Amino acid sequence: MTASPAGRLTAEAPAANDYQPVPDAPPAGKRPVDGHRPRERAAKSRLDAWMEVDFKFGGSRIKRKAVALILLGAPAVTPLFFMLPALITLNSNTFSVSVDDTLGTGAELCLFLCLLVTPMSLLTGQHWFVPLRRWYGIMMACCAIGDATAAGITDDFAGGVFGRLAGHTFTLVGFLMVMLVIPLLLTGNPWAQRKLGRYWKRLHRLIYVIWALLAAHLMLLEGLGFQRGTDGSGFAGDGDPAFHQRFYQYSACSLFLLTLRLPPVKRWIVARQKEGRNWLVWVTIAPLFALFLFGFFFILNEEIFKGIGSFTEHPSAE
Amino acid sequence: MSETYASGGQEGKKAGGVILMISSSVAALLLLAALIYATGTGQRHETALAAAGCEPSLSPSGLPCTTVQMLESQYMAVVTPASQQLNADVAAYTESETHNLAAAEAALTAEAATEHAFDAALAGITFPPAIAATAKALIRANQALASLTAEQARSSTLTQLRSFNDRVQADSTAVQSKMTLILTAVHSPSPRS
Repeated sequence: MTASPAGRLTAEAPAANDYQPVPDAPPAGKRPVDGHRPRERAAKSRLDAWMEVDFKFGGSRIKRKAVALILLGAPAVTPLFFMLPALITLNSNTFSVSVDDTLGTGAELCLFLCLLVTPMSLLTGQHWFVPLRRWYGIMMACCAIGDATAAGITDDFAGGVFGRLAGHTFTLVGFLMVMLVIPLLLTGNPWAQRKLGRYWKRLHRLIYVIWALLAAHLMLLEGLGFQRGTDGSGFAGDGDPAFHQRFYQYSACSLFLLTLRLPPVKRWIVARQKEGRNWLVWVTIAPLFALFLFGFFFILNEEIFKGIGSFTEHPSAE
Repeated sequence: MSETYASGGQEGKKAGGVILMISSSVAALLLLAALIYATGTGQRHETALAAAGCEPSLSPSGLPCTTVQMLESQYMAVVTPASQQLNADVAAYTESETHNLAAAEAALTAEAATEHAFDAALAGITFPPAIAATAKALIRANQALASLTAEQARSSTLTQLRSFNDRVQADSTAVQSKMTLILTAVHSPSPRS
């Protein structure tokens, strides 16, 4: 088993074993020992080293990486923060109307961010942000469990708690996803990783099952069309309902994340980077990455719109 | 490394390039399609608003108009939970009105609180002028019902408590009819004002 960041939630191995950062940046003006290492990789490794440097804050020393990780990780709490006023005031209206959109969409965003870490590490050669994978995974699990709990209590579907959670095919798939995410959440820590040994990685590959089930969940929820009132969720009133179709957003994000996980693609990227042609990699993946950002932007837009409604306890049922 | 293995590795790397090129081309085409689609946003917006009917400057999402769907969803977001809560309160009252004064009064107090909350939430919706008058009438009727319910909750005997039932029922019917009127008005597309 390779040394990996302890306790991360997902099962993903480091981007490539031959792609670890060098421990320290080479002294200025001195050639690296690994003479064939492309200049760009060495530069990226320097950023990893830069992130490891401490700085003084008040009476203590803090790593730059810690600050960067906090800044990048903090937004993942936002979906739960959006629901906080409704939770404090026990506002069942806000929960029944918009918890699915706020926490469900939040879980989707966290899942994509979690899945984004490995491709970004592969593409940039940097590893300082890899701990975020665990954090985004934990927040994804918290949002998903919160969504299911609230739906089980406040949804209008008949059949009691189980009927509300699994009475429809899309809720059944969502319930299954939440059931699968629980063991990942419980074992997303260094202790569980040590205890489970090689089985930990296998267990955490469930994240890919959850990723696939999310496609089924969204398809069953909204179909493949996009006209509200017929077979989709997109609100026709703003003139671009196709961009609000959740399955389309999911597909736009997943194409990039899936392609960059295919072993031949990873090998091709590493080979180009070794040749010092990282620019070719970026040029080739640019449309995929742009499509990812496009889909992600609309999911984020949905989260902010619905989240603010939830936070102000004037939930939108659109 | 053997030559065969090396050539296999090269083919593998080429396959990766081909996969990436195909995926990127698909992504580029999708982006292009999205851009073309986005150019028609304004026109589709106008068409949707014209088809659904709207009121200017009422949109919570920054749109220039509130469409029928948006108004309906706002209205239902207020009505649905309030109705559920009221049904629960009424059921609790019905269960205890004959033998348990304290429980019946507690149910009525809860009912009055729900009615007040419903009024407040309803007042937060900006209705188009055609519906606004009915909405105001609904709020007034519901306030009257809430006051009556609160008065009923202050009864000192079960007989006195039940003596309010007919008046409460009449007020409830009035509220119900106004709610039906609003729902019908919200559902019916009206010409743009």
